[in-house]
Amino acid sequence: MISAGNDIVALQAVDVQRTQLPAFYSKFITPAEFALHKPNEISLVNFVWTLWSAKESAYKYLKRINSELVFAPAKIAVQQLSLPSPLKTNADAHNQYLGKLQISDGTLAFITIINEQFIATVIDEGDVNWAVKQIESSDYESQSQAVRSFLLDGLKMPGVSVEKHSGGYPVLMKGGVTLDITVSFAHHDRYISYCYQIPK
Amino acid sequence: MDRKEILVELKKVLTPYTENKEMLEGISEQTDLIKDLKINSANLVDIIIDAEAQYNIEIDFDAAEKMYNVGNCIDVISDKINKPA
Repeated sequence: MISAGNDIVALQAVDVQRTQLPAFYSKFITPAEFALHKPNEISLVNFVWTLWSAKESAYKYLKRINSELVFAPAKIAVQQLSLPSPLKTNADAHNQYLGKLQISDGTLAFITIINEQFIATVIDEGDVNWAVKQIESSDYESQSQAVRSFLLDGLKMPGVSVEKHSGGYPVLMKGGVTLDITVSFAHHDRYISYCYQIPK
Repeated sequence: MDRKEILVELKKVLTPYTENKEMLEGISEQTDLIKDLKINSANLVDIIIDAEAQYNIEIDFDAAEKMYNVGNCIDVISDKINKPA
C-alpha cells in the first residue's frame, strides 16, 4: 500500500533556546539518535527539528496504514542522516538531507530540506510529489484552507475536492468516489506543505 | 490534587498553544489536543515541558506519548504527582 507523510517546522515559530536544552530534545530523541549529530554539518536547533519532522512525517505515513496508531516519537528511530551536496532549488539556499527511519517492520527513507525559514520533510517511498509555500496568515483556518488550495492547484485535476477521513488524514474525492491518490498536509506558522503519490 | 484541580492548571499550560480559547474553556477529558484544540504538533513537547514545570514532575518517553488528549494528560500528571518519592 502506498501512503504519504510530510511535516514542516517554521523556524521563526520555535523557541530556539528551549530547543537546545537536553530536557527538551531528550523527550523524543534517544541517545543513539543524538549520536548522529555532526555539529560541523548541522546546528543543534536544525538537527533537533529535523528529527522531529522526520518522526512526524513517518507517523502520518504509518497512520494511514494503521488508523489506531498513536504518535510515539521516541519509538520511531532515525538511524541515518546524511548531507548530500547542497541544492539550489529556488531563490533561497537549501541544504538537502537524506535519512532513514526504523519502524516496527522495516525502514522508511526521508528527505529534509533546510533553509533559514523552515525545515520540511517528506517520506521518500515511491514517486512522491512535494511542495512548500509561504502564506500570509498563521491562524489555523488560513493554514488549512491554503494548503488545500495549494494542493489542488498543484494537482491540476478538475472536479477533485479534499475531504477528511475518519482516521484524521486527508483524502481526495471526485464525483463522490475516493481517489487512490494518497495525500499528506503540514502547516506551521506561515508555511504550508503538501505531498502526494499517484499509483502507477 | 484531584482531577478537577489538575484540569484547571492544565488549561493554563495549554493556553499559549491554542488559538481556540472558547474550546479550551469548555474542554472535557475527551478533548483531543491536536484535532479539537488545533494545537500544532510542534508544540507537544513544549506542553510536556511546561506541564513538568507547572506540577513539579518529570514526564518520561512512555508517559509523554499518552498525552494526546486532556484525559490522558490528567492521568499522566495525576500518576506522577501521586507517585511516592
